[in-house]
This record gives sequence, C-alpha cells and structure tokens, in this order.
Amino acid sequence: MNPLTLQDRAQLAAHARIQTDRITGQTVLLFPEGILKLNETSSAILERCDGRTISEAIADLAQHYEVPDSELQADVLEFLEDLQRRQLLRLS
Amino acid sequence: MTAPRPYALLAEVTYRCPLHCPYCSNPLQQDLGAELTTAEWSRVLEEAAALGVLQVGFSGGEPLARPDLTDLIAAARTAGLFTNVLTSGVGLNTSRLAELRSSGLDSIQLSLQADEADLADSIAGTRAHRIKLDAAKWIKEAGLPLSLNVVLHRHNLDRLPQILNLAEELGAQRLELANTQYYGWALKNRAHLLPTKHQVDTARAVAEAAQKRLAGRMDIFYVLPDYYETRPKPCLAGWGQRYLTINPLGEVLPCPTAFSIPGLAFPNVRQHSLQWIWEESDAFNRFRGTAWMPEPCQSCDRREIDFGGCRCQAALLLGDATATDPVCTLSPRHQVVENIVSNIQASDARPEWEMRTF
Repeated sequence: MNPLTLQDRAQLAAHARIQTDRITGQTVLLFPEGILKLNETSSAILERCDGRTISEAIADLAQHYEVPDSELQADVLEFLEDLQRRQLLRLS
Repeated sequence: MTAPRPYALLAEVTYRCPLHCPYCSNPLQQDLGAELTTAEWSRVLEEAAALGVLQVGFSGGEPLARPDLTDLIAAARTAGLFTNVLTSGVGLNTSRLAELRSSGLDSIQLSLQADEADLADSIAGTRAHRIKLDAAKWIKEAGLPLSLNVVLHRHNLDRLPQILNLAEELGAQRLELANTQYYGWALKNRAHLLPTKHQVDTARAVAEAAQKRLAGRMDIFYVLPDYYETRPKPCLAGWGQRYLTINPLGEVLPCPTAFSIPGLAFPNVRQHSLQWIWEESDAFNRFRGTAWMPEPCQSCDRREIDFGGCRCQAALLLGDATATDPVCTLSPRHQVVENIVSNIQASDARPEWEMRTF
C-alpha cells in the first residue's frame, strides 16, 4: 500500500455510502461488512473528497474552520489512510 | 435489562439451495412450507431499520432462489439499509445481476468451495464451480466489490495457497476464510470435516502471510478453527447485543445457529413486532449481558471480551447452554473438546459425509 500524498485525488469508493443514522442523526459510513461513525470533521473531509487533490480539500476545510492548513494536515491524512487501508478510497 | 441497539440483520430468506455442502449451518430439519412473503419481509426490514439496524445480509439457503429478491433489496434500500447478498452464484446471470444492482444492491459475497472444479464440485455436491467463476467475473464487471467466502475443512485446508491465488486472480477485495463451525450439517459430518492440528497450524501461517502481503488490496478475514483455540469465539459480540437473524419462516434468532439450543422458543415476526422480540422476548434476554454466566466466566476478566463463548456450542457439546463454552481451556469440561480433536481419523481420503438435502 503506497502512502498518500497531498497531490493524490481521493474519492470515496463506489461501494461505500454516507448516510444519516435514523437513531442518532449522526453521519455514518456504510460499506461491506462494516460501519464507521463519522464525527463532524471526518464528514467535512469526506464531503470535500470529490476529485480535488487532498491538499485542495485541506485548504478548503481550513478556510471553513478558519485555521491554518498545517493544523489539519496530519489528522486528515491519518483519517484518509485509515479509509485507504479499508479499501474505501478511490485514488487518481 | 435495557436492550442495546442492533446493527446488522441476517435475513435468511429461504432454506432452498441448489448446493449440498456437508458443512451447511442450516438446521437438519426444515419446514419448507411457510416462507415469509415479500410484503412480510418489507415490513420486517422497515422495523429492523427503525430499531437501528444499518446493514442487512440476504442469505439462506440460496437467496437467488427467491424470485422476489430484487423487491426485498429495494425494500431494504427504502428503509435505508446497506444491502449484501450472500450467494453460491447459482442462479446468477448478467441480467439478474443488473436487476439486483438497479434495485439497490450494495455488495455481494460469493462462496467458493475450493480452488479447482473437481474438489469444489465434490464438496458442493453439484457442478457449481465454473458457474461461480463466471459469477465472480460478472460481479466485477458490474462494478461491485467482489467478496469471496470459502468454508475451510480437512478436505480443502491444504489448498489454501491455491485458494488465495484464485481469489487474487479473480480480483477479490475481501476474502473470508471461514474454518468450519460445527453446527447443523457440519456437526453431523464433523468426523469427516475436522482438520488435523498440523493442517490448522500450516494454514494459519499461510493466511497470516497473505494478510501481510495483500494488505490494502485484499482484506483477508480468517475465522479461527475454534476447537483448536484456547479461548472461545465471542458469540456475535454478545448474545442479543448487535446482531439478529430472521429465518425463512419468520422466527427471530440471536444468531443463525441458535436453533441448536433445546428449550429456547423463537418468537415469530408474524406474531410480534421486531421491537418486542429484540427488547422483551425471553429468547433475546436469556443470555444477554453477564448475569446468566456460570463460573469460571462470572469472575473472568474476559467475560465481556468473549461473553462465555458460544451458547450453541455449550448446548451441543455439553447438553447445557448455560455452561462455559468447552473450547475454553478454563472450562471445567474442556476435556470434551480435547477428546474430539484427539480422535480425528486423519486418513480420510474418501469422505463419507452426508450431503445436505433440501
């Protein structure tokens, strides 16, 4: 498995689905044999994984939260690498 | 006791199956007369989603034997469930697959019996292997993730390297290597299915090496052969904690093999709401939590890790569903499992197992 770079364009794999949990109202990621509960930040990251580069997604997210890019970078990469390990990311 | 929230439903929509696998976990006696209808399943799927269920697996038997499977998938999607079909592949073709896909199917798990046709077909009791290879190809072409399941036992465990190669060739994203669990038909055929210690040790090393080698490309989920373990498998993360099974007749069970427990009556969705069954019924509360546990489980620091092990196994091997799973070396009756394992007749070249019938 190659480590992610900021220049990768990451999108959610076609076989995973984001949904609102009927019980908690929380955002959940559903995929074969698995469920991930997403917190607000992870949902916000995934919303921005729409074909732009990871670096662009981070910049947009940083602007949204009004923090410097560098503050988000490690957390975003860690989250996306977790998805990558679960084969839930499509990279281009 | 307050009931937790269920997350996953196994919907056994039919017991009918074109295969005759001698390790089938379905009950030996099946009443084929009264399968839930499309309307009944649709109602139950909505009830399950309202309780908290997020994932449904359509299983059986062979779920493709239900002509209304597309309707059931559509109903599940309407309820907001992530849908998975667990199939032998027999009954699949490209147009059926397209229908399933457009009704909202999210994923398919395809079973294989071995890596090559002669052995696979002798295990399945029918010529299914080539059909399965086609099915795997169609699933990939349809853009669905390919998930494979192989039940392992004495007669295919040594082929694990070849099985792994085949899964790689087919482009599987997930491979479940499930050592046989001894319930239903598998228990009946245990003498012919149970592998030797040597086979088990070799296979485990092969599986672990493959897990490392294929990390990020193919998820390999290795279900341990629990007769050879020192601690029992956790009963589906605890009885009545996260999972429920509904059988073709509408009976609701905490796990697919809970029918093995004598004296436990399973409430039916034709008579009760799923919510009542999950929260209030005796069947779901009997072994929920830790209060029911005997010693050594009650004071064991693993009581909420393995939940006393498998209730069905305790019932089947000891005749007492409230006992510690005898697979556990801490069980006062662990000797029962040791005796089974030490009595294996390894020279079983031509298995005389009893094939599953309809």
